[in-house]
Amino acid sequence: MPKPDLLESPETDLLHELDRPWQVVVHNDPVNLMSYVTMVFRRVFGWTAEKAEQHMMEVHVKGRSVVWSGGKEKAEHYVQQLHGFLLLATMEKVP
Amino acid sequence: MTFEFAKDGGGRFHGIHPVLEAILRAAAADPWERCPEGSARLLPPPGDHGELIEDWEDHVRPELREGFSMARSVVEEDLGAMTQEKKGEWSLTIPSDHTDAWLTTLNAVRLALASEHDLTEADMAADEEKADFSTPKGMALLQVNLFGFMQECLIRSMED
Repeated sequence: MPKPDLLESPETDLLHELDRPWQVVVHNDPVNLMSYVTMVFRRVFGWTAEKAEQHMMEVHVKGRSVVWSGGKEKAEHYVQQLHGFLLLATMEKVP
Repeated sequence: MTFEFAKDGGGRFHGIHPVLEAILRAAAADPWERCPEGSARLLPPPGDHGELIEDWEDHVRPELREGFSMARSVVEEDLGAMTQEKKGEWSLTIPSDHTDAWLTTLNAVRLALASEHDLTEADMAADEEKADFSTPKGMALLQVNLFGFMQECLIRSMED
């Protein structure tokens, strides 16, 4: 019979893994115009021009920006929307 | 070639030189046929989770591709309605409800061309006067810049 502490650890990890939210990341692409990326952010997320520009600049300068985090289904929805506008977007588990 | 804003969004490009007119008509070409190598960029995977990618391939990709195809049809329709002005120049009207289709299609062609010809950020920022349009890469750069100019005009038309 395994010790309880040996069992607890994997179960906790599994629950933690299942609970971990997803995040949507937009990656830099030099072809996409800055104004276009800003417009897409405003359309997809309903952001103000200021917030959309901040994220656009983060993509441009740092190469990526986390634009949303939450449930898997909604993350898939956002990635699909961003791909529909041809932005380079991926989803990953929040570290 | 200049852009005139319409009151209800959208607008009209006029004074389009016949050379640019020919390039512009190519915007409606299917990027998957025109740039098979570059078109991979148009439908990237959503991440690196195997299950996610499988589901994406089966359900999302066909839907996205269908959306791009529909947008291209709208662009084709507007290009077919281009009119010739005096002096042999052309005019293109883009109704406000066609703006999204144009933005998507122009972006798809730009991305496919850039990918196929390995255009870098430096290439696109370089002085156009130094570009050699007699080479395939130079011609691709001209197209990418022309379509980018059109995108900027259309985005501004949506903001005003």
